[in-house]
Amino acid sequence: MSPEPSPSTEQLVLLLTQHQEPLFRYIFSLVGSEADARDILQETSLSLYRTFDQYDASRPFLPWAYRFAYLKVQKHREKKTRSQLLFSEDVMDLLAQERERVEPELDQRLQLLDGCLSKLTAHDRELVTSRYAMRQSAEEMMKRFPISRRTLFRKLELLRQRLHECVTSQLQSDGLS
Amino acid sequence: MNLESLIYAKLDGEITPEQHSQLEDHLRNNWQARRLYLELADQHARLLQQPEVNTGRLKQTHVISRTVPWRKSALIASAAVVLLTAFVVWPRKVVDSEATSNGVAMISQTLNAEFAPTTIRGGDTIAPGKLTLKKGLAQIEFFSGATVLIEGETQIEIISAWEARCVSGRMRVHVPPAAKGFLMHAPNMKLEDLGTEFAMNVKGQDSTVHVFDGEVIAHSKANSPASLKMGMTLASASVSVAPQDFLPIRELQGLIRQHEQSRFEQWQTWSMQTRQDLRLIAYYPFKHWENDDWDRLVNNFAEPTLKSRTGGAVGAQWTQGRWPGKEALEFKRPGDRVRMNLDGTYDALTLACWIKVDSVDKKYNSLLLTDGYESGEPHWQIYEDGSLMFSIGYATAGEKRITMKNNQIYHSKPVFTADSLGRWHHLAVTYSNASGAVLQYFDGEEVGRDISSLHQPGRTIVFGPCELGNWGLPTQGHQFPIRTLNGAIDEFAIYNGVLDATEIQAIFEEGKPN
Repeated sequence: MSPEPSPSTEQLVLLLTQHQEPLFRYIFSLVGSEADARDILQETSLSLYRTFDQYDASRPFLPWAYRFAYLKVQKHREKKTRSQLLFSEDVMDLLAQERERVEPELDQRLQLLDGCLSKLTAHDRELVTSRYAMRQSAEEMMKRFPISRRTLFRKLELLRQRLHECVTSQLQSDGLS
Repeated sequence: MNLESLIYAKLDGEITPEQHSQLEDHLRNNWQARRLYLELADQHARLLQQPEVNTGRLKQTHVISRTVPWRKSALIASAAVVLLTAFVVWPRKVVDSEATSNGVAMISQTLNAEFAPTTIRGGDTIAPGKLTLKKGLAQIEFFSGATVLIEGETQIEIISAWEARCVSGRMRVHVPPAAKGFLMHAPNMKLEDLGTEFAMNVKGQDSTVHVFDGEVIAHSKANSPASLKMGMTLASASVSVAPQDFLPIRELQGLIRQHEQSRFEQWQTWSMQTRQDLRLIAYYPFKHWENDDWDRLVNNFAEPTLKSRTGGAVGAQWTQGRWPGKEALEFKRPGDRVRMNLDGTYDALTLACWIKVDSVDKKYNSLLLTDGYESGEPHWQIYEDGSLMFSIGYATAGEKRITMKNNQIYHSKPVFTADSLGRWHHLAVTYSNASGAVLQYFDGEEVGRDISSLHQPGRTIVFGPCELGNWGLPTQGHQFPIRTLNGAIDEFAIYNGVLDATEIQAIFEEGKPN
């Protein structure tokens, strides 16, 4: 290894804070569950801390961190295969590969997402808030918005679909794609 | 359940085991499904963390404070939802939608043509709009069947497959019976074509038309519709037009042949010189000897000639390359390939080829691949999204094979799109085991540059048994993935060393089809 002094913990904390959000999104895309993704994110941070002396500061942090995250996801998979629905290894591989390839575009999409959120109707905003910010259950939401379960799910799907389309069309009109 | 609903069910923790394996099948087999999943998963993750959402900037009137994690109640809910969703057909967009084009015409032939916008080239499909030719000749074929030949400084507005406007300059129009009724506008004039050939000349507000054959109805503001027959001329002013002013179509064909011949000769001169480049490991200009009765040898012309590096065509058929007289091999069927055996170990490489891709129809579409995929062996392919994909892997101690963890993969931006298929293009990739940099080029322009995070300097490159246009050899009794190229190759050069951007650009300039 290089004789340079090992980077400090302070540096790691800084890097982690800076990159926690994309790291979470990376893990989430592989496991598809928020609670699991949070657990794995913690474990990943821990193993990054343990091996941080091997980190080459001249290289980008995220690809390095992704490798640890990927291993943690695999470990998690081995533990939980029976009880839960997780992607099989080949699908995870494909997703991880594809994700690293399209990451710049995914990041662009997120920048546009903020703009699209602000265009939502008041009603849709309420849906977003209760589903995402307040993590309300379907039962709670059905009480709040007096609608049937079927309508609720349909509304949520359409809402997310609209957001996705809004981002896609902005991406095209900005010529960013 | 369609793909989008499956993805939402997954993200909401509402998915059943059966649906989960359905979703996995989509993701396994379709990159568009993977993209969509990744986009929606990312959006979902962002909304969960969204500062704007979480800080209450998306405010609503009142708040119920008790929060139960969504996923706990999801279990109870899921059965009911599955039952319900089975009966509801929701309107949504189709993910694998059919490709569309707004083209109404195409540029079928050009000769020394320079267009504005400059991005237009021969073979392009054209959407309605103005097209300016600055110099040279261009033949435009409308989808209705009408053909317009434009010459010199000319501006034409393409309105539809059935209608165009001559804004300025000279053009010659041929309308076959199937395109009867084709309309050509000009200042102070509108020509309705009844199946014919005519020429026009427009300068400023003055138009002249001369009919070579058939009949044209000329509508003008001043006069009632007039019928123009063979040999007749109608001029709105003093602009003259005579048959000899216009290039007959036959002459255009001759000029194009001449031009192709001179391009072919220029390339041959260059090719004779380049084969002396000492960096060449092998050079295949795809020329086979007439006395080769077996017809299967793909000769290596790198000097000094190493016979052992001669390639052998399997299946692939000889066809025309970039110009008449230039040979190429066409790869179509799953077995088609050119086999080679390149000995030696190397520190850097450049792969460069001229290729016409008819379709990117497989997940991986082979350019050059070594048999199997062992440490230090390069693979160069076209990925399903149309990008160039170069990869090389090194299994370290304790690892048996190249896996995702030690495979260095480099993608260019997508280069094979509807516009670039079916034409000759130059592709190149360079890799140095010292810097780890991989650069890829398309028609002489850089389209990808990257260093893998897995790169470690100094690991050697080997080829050994390898193939163009396919991936082999399958071991006996094994299934093998089909990676046949759908297209033709008419030149392939393999160098020991990194050619720089100027050299790649020069290769493109010397060998470009027109």
